[in-house]
Amino acid sequence: MSFLEVFQYTRQDSIMHRLDPRSKLVLSIVCAAVSMMFMEIIPLLMVFICLLPMIAAAKSLGRWAKSMKGLGALLVFVLVFNTLLSPAENPLSYSLSLAIRLVALMTSFSLFFLTVQPDQLSQALIQMRVKFEFAFAMSMAMRYVPTLGQEAYAIMDAQRARGVELDKGNLIKRIRNIIPIIVPLIIVSIRRALSIAESMESRGFGASENRTYMEMLRFGKRDWAVALSSLLILILVIYVRFFVGLPGWMLWGLPF
Amino acid sequence: MALIEFADFSFKYLGADSLALKRIKLTIDEGEYVVITGPSGCGKTTFCRAINALVPQFHRGYVAGNVYTDGKNTRENEVATFASVAGLVFQNPENQLVTLDVEKEIAFGPENLGVAPDEIRRRVEELIDLLDLEELREKHPHEMSGGEQQRVAIAATLALRPKVLVADEPTSNLDPTSAEVILEIIAHLNKRGMAVVLVEHRLDLVAKDASRIILMNKGRIVADGNPREILAMDLCEEIGVGVPKATQVYKRLKTRGVELRNVPLTGVELAELVQEATSR
Ligand SMILES: Nc1ncnc2c1ncn2[C@@H]1O[C@H](COP(=O)(O)OP(=O)(O)OP(=O)(O)O)[C@@H](O)[C@H]1O
Ligand SMILES: [Mg+2]
Repeated sequence: MSFLEVFQYTRQDSIMHRLDPRSKLVLSIVCAAVSMMFMEIIPLLMVFICLLPMIAAAKSLGRWAKSMKGLGALLVFVLVFNTLLSPAENPLSYSLSLAIRLVALMTSFSLFFLTVQPDQLSQALIQMRVKFEFAFAMSMAMRYVPTLGQEAYAIMDAQRARGVELDKGNLIKRIRNIIPIIVPLIIVSIRRALSIAESMESRGFGASENRTYMEMLRFGKRDWAVALSSLLILILVIYVRFFVGLPGWMLWGLPF
Repeated sequence: MALIEFADFSFKYLGADSLALKRIKLTIDEGEYVVITGPSGCGKTTFCRAINALVPQFHRGYVAGNVYTDGKNTRENEVATFASVAGLVFQNPENQLVTLDVEKEIAFGPENLGVAPDEIRRRVEELIDLLDLEELREKHPHEMSGGEQQRVAIAATLALRPKVLVADEPTSNLDPTSAEVILEIIAHLNKRGMAVVLVEHRLDLVAKDASRIILMNKGRIVADGNPREILAMDLCEEIGVGVPKATQVYKRLKTRGVELRNVPLTGVELAELVQEATSR
């Protein structure tokens, strides 16, 4: 699952990291939308080539490359199966563009998730008038994912030590084996949730109608520039794609 | 007016068969350093929860009597009302850190109460300085040790400027070195004038700083007074409270007919008293 790392926030000081999450959201969605609009190899490659400098601007090329290596197996799978099974005229060409599209999509979204800290994301949501409790619950869920993971491992170890064989037997047996993990995990999590709630209430959670925020996100000139130029590019691409049509050389595909 | 007043307070958790607190009567004043100790299940945590209204507002159940914290009845006011009076620190540091960085964590309480942003920023910087959190500023809770997490949790509690710090076994999940650091911080806060209520088993580490020790057993307060007076009682051994080594030696000497002038709490005090007794 190492390819998922590309969706995990990494602390860095870069131009990309300093942008407001909202402008990055626009940028990221536009990139994804553009990659969804094409099925031809050349335009998809162009999108991809535009994305790379942005990842570089986030100082995350290394991490990105590592994740793509992790994705390699899945890409080969997409290529082989589609080539063999697709009813398209040029199945290899078609699968190749599918693969490039997948990479472009993942890269577009990673641009957002790599550079936006979960707390910032919830702050952005709050400033977009999402209720505080809801936004905060979301960032807390992300906060406690690793904790829950650790707990699951600890329970698995404990159950193994008591002789539960987790990875033996047929499918039904394996599913049944999950029960001794899930049940204690739920109990432990409920207890933890209560204890977290206790601590939050003690610190005045939900007390005041007029909650303040130490830091508000500021949508600066740079953010306007990024968001507006992203939208402009989207409009341009839609226009060319649907009303003008792509020039012939862009429609090139493999002959098989 | 006392800072905290328990007026014949009893409490039974919903679904429990016996009272967790039985007719508790006591007052705690500003500037005190109260250590609470007693066997497991005797009601220490429940006592702490009753100070800021978690009992009976968050944990419901049967209630009799009243608790007044800063003059306000905990049966009639929400938990949040007490956030800037009594700051609670709990046993498990991980469950007290609800954000992903130290600054946000410290800001969380004051933000909830609607404190002005400039003022929050000021408190954050002050507490980072006071609790020496500078290197943790950029860290995710997962990258911190238990002791570091607990330091952040204390800072987050202090950000609400409480009059009393209530810490329920804040060191029981920590290694001995981190535990000592936390206890030193708490003693330091008390010296700066903050009242402290601390639940702690390791009396050898805290008895010397405390101004008062309360022994609990089965939901009742069984002894309450000056540390030397309390620790000299045989009751401690009877209910299984861990008396400091120096005080144990004092007691043993006494059974053999050697009476020291005072009850020692530390090795140094013991040595001085023994020297005094032998040179007499
Ligand atoms: N949430 C709860 N619901 C029901 N009963 C509870 C709850 N919390 C505590 N109790 C019960 O109340 C009594 C007092 O518990 P409390 O946690 O206050 O003891 P304690 O002195 O803090 O113990 P420990 O040293 O183990 O932390 C115990 O009998 C316990 O089982
Ligand atoms: Mg307890």
